[in-house]
Amino acid sequence: MPRLDDFAILFDASYCIGCRACQVGCKQWNDLPATETQNRGSYDSSYLSAHTWLKMSYHEGLDKDGEVYWDFTRTSCMHCSEAACVEACPTGAMNYRPGGVVTVDQDWCIGCRNCVQACPYDAVHFDEQKGVVQKCTFCHDRIANGLAPACVKACPTGALRFGTYGAMRRAAWERVEALKAEGYTEANVYGLKEMGGTHVIYVLLRHPSTYGLPIEPMTQRHKVAVDWLSAGIAAAALGTLGWVIARREEVSGGES
Amino acid sequence: MTGGEWGIYIVLYFWLAGFGGGAFLLALSQRDRWLQRVGAWLAFLGVVVGALLLVIDLGQPLRFWHLLASFRPVSVMWLGSAFLFLDGIALFLLLFLRQWPPLLVWAAAILTLLVVGYTGVLLTATARPFWAASPLIPWIFLASAGTTGAAVLALFGAEAGVHRAAFWLAWVEGALILLHLVWTYPSATPAVQALLSGSLAWAFWGFVAFGFGIPIWLEARKKGLWLAALLVLAGGFLLRYFVVYAGQVGYLI
Repeated sequence: MPRLDDFAILFDASYCIGCRACQVGCKQWNDLPATETQNRGSYDSSYLSAHTWLKMSYHEGLDKDGEVYWDFTRTSCMHCSEAACVEACPTGAMNYRPGGVVTVDQDWCIGCRNCVQACPYDAVHFDEQKGVVQKCTFCHDRIANGLAPACVKACPTGALRFGTYGAMRRAAWERVEALKAEGYTEANVYGLKEMGGTHVIYVLLRHPSTYGLPIEPMTQRHKVAVDWLSAGIAAAALGTLGWVIARREEVSGGES
Repeated sequence: MTGGEWGIYIVLYFWLAGFGGGAFLLALSQRDRWLQRVGAWLAFLGVVVGALLLVIDLGQPLRFWHLLASFRPVSVMWLGSAFLFLDGIALFLLLFLRQWPPLLVWAAAILTLLVVGYTGVLLTATARPFWAASPLIPWIFLASAGTTGAAVLALFGAEAGVHRAAFWLAWVEGALILLHLVWTYPSATPAVQALLSGSLAWAFWGFVAFGFGIPIWLEARKKGLWLAALLVLAGGFLLRYFVVYAGQVGYLI
């Protein structure tokens, strides 16, 4: 669980107009170069990459009543409390910093990309020029000096807010209550339980899957335990089968 | 799309470690001392060449020692590198010694099994649905280590027992792959489609025909066993290839 005085960002989908000011603000503050976009038949034309640490995702479809919806989410590192990237990292280069921020030590990262494969939010990417991975830093260089992260600073509608975890979580709950009173019965908070609690929390109008968010993602620790168990059973079962057949034939002299 | 995928070096490493380790473990079930020594050599070469491939694949190859300067057992990548390192030492000692101390043989066998096994766990413990949605990748990799290991031992003149083991493990391997595709189809549809009819179909169907179908047919008729062994080895490479690449379809490739 995040501590109440940790840093947190609140993204409120009900206020977001999809202007991408956060995306541009992130690029500018972090000195990230422009990247080629690709027309995929919607406004959602960018990808998260080593040079794009934050992007707006656009989700459109028909709701239960046949009404068209077009919703936006801020897609970036969630700064998890039990982060898959940190637990997958073999050197400790990817690690938790004070305030719940997850960053990668660029001088210690070896570029194995295990974190890239492990992140359920697709927020870590490999920089081929630098040979290390890159991701959102929560603008630690800004927040350590009392400033809001660049994305929050750039947001013109108040869809992004920055503060302590306790304050942001309270604001999220209050906002969901207000939305429910307005008739958005599916309004919910995302990020309170996922991956041990994330330091970026979302207020959503619809079910998280509508926004392409992973539902109840398994922590890396849990996954690794289950998968070692599976491998152990596999080794016992297949090993016994292969070894016994090979051995039996050898003992019996191979007549069959 | 954004680069940095696990590519051909990883595929080659999985393949080398798989058939080298499989050959060593299967050879231990045989009385033939010479075959056991061949198995140890194959496993040792797989570990050493494989480790070199892994280092080359790093974004910062010269920092590989950071792995040894850390202790992160939850990370499958860290554990795997530790197993690889220790297995290399154990196998080197075996090759060096005329008489094999039973304890060392056991240590080398267990470490080799861990090296072969962790590669599957590494893929399964990710957020990529084609690898992670079923727990079967370690099963498939272990079965393939058995068939390819048996194939390479067959080339070195292994007896009927190794052939029988390979024959039955091949059927299990085929069934596991089929089960895995069905299991992961709902959550990893683009990956499975890439295998069946898309960009990876050549590797998948190449494996089905040349790495599975024809060798099983030859083995059942006890004809062309040398060819069957070569095909199984090549098929093992195709298997690692399509598994590694399919997991990243829609994410990194």
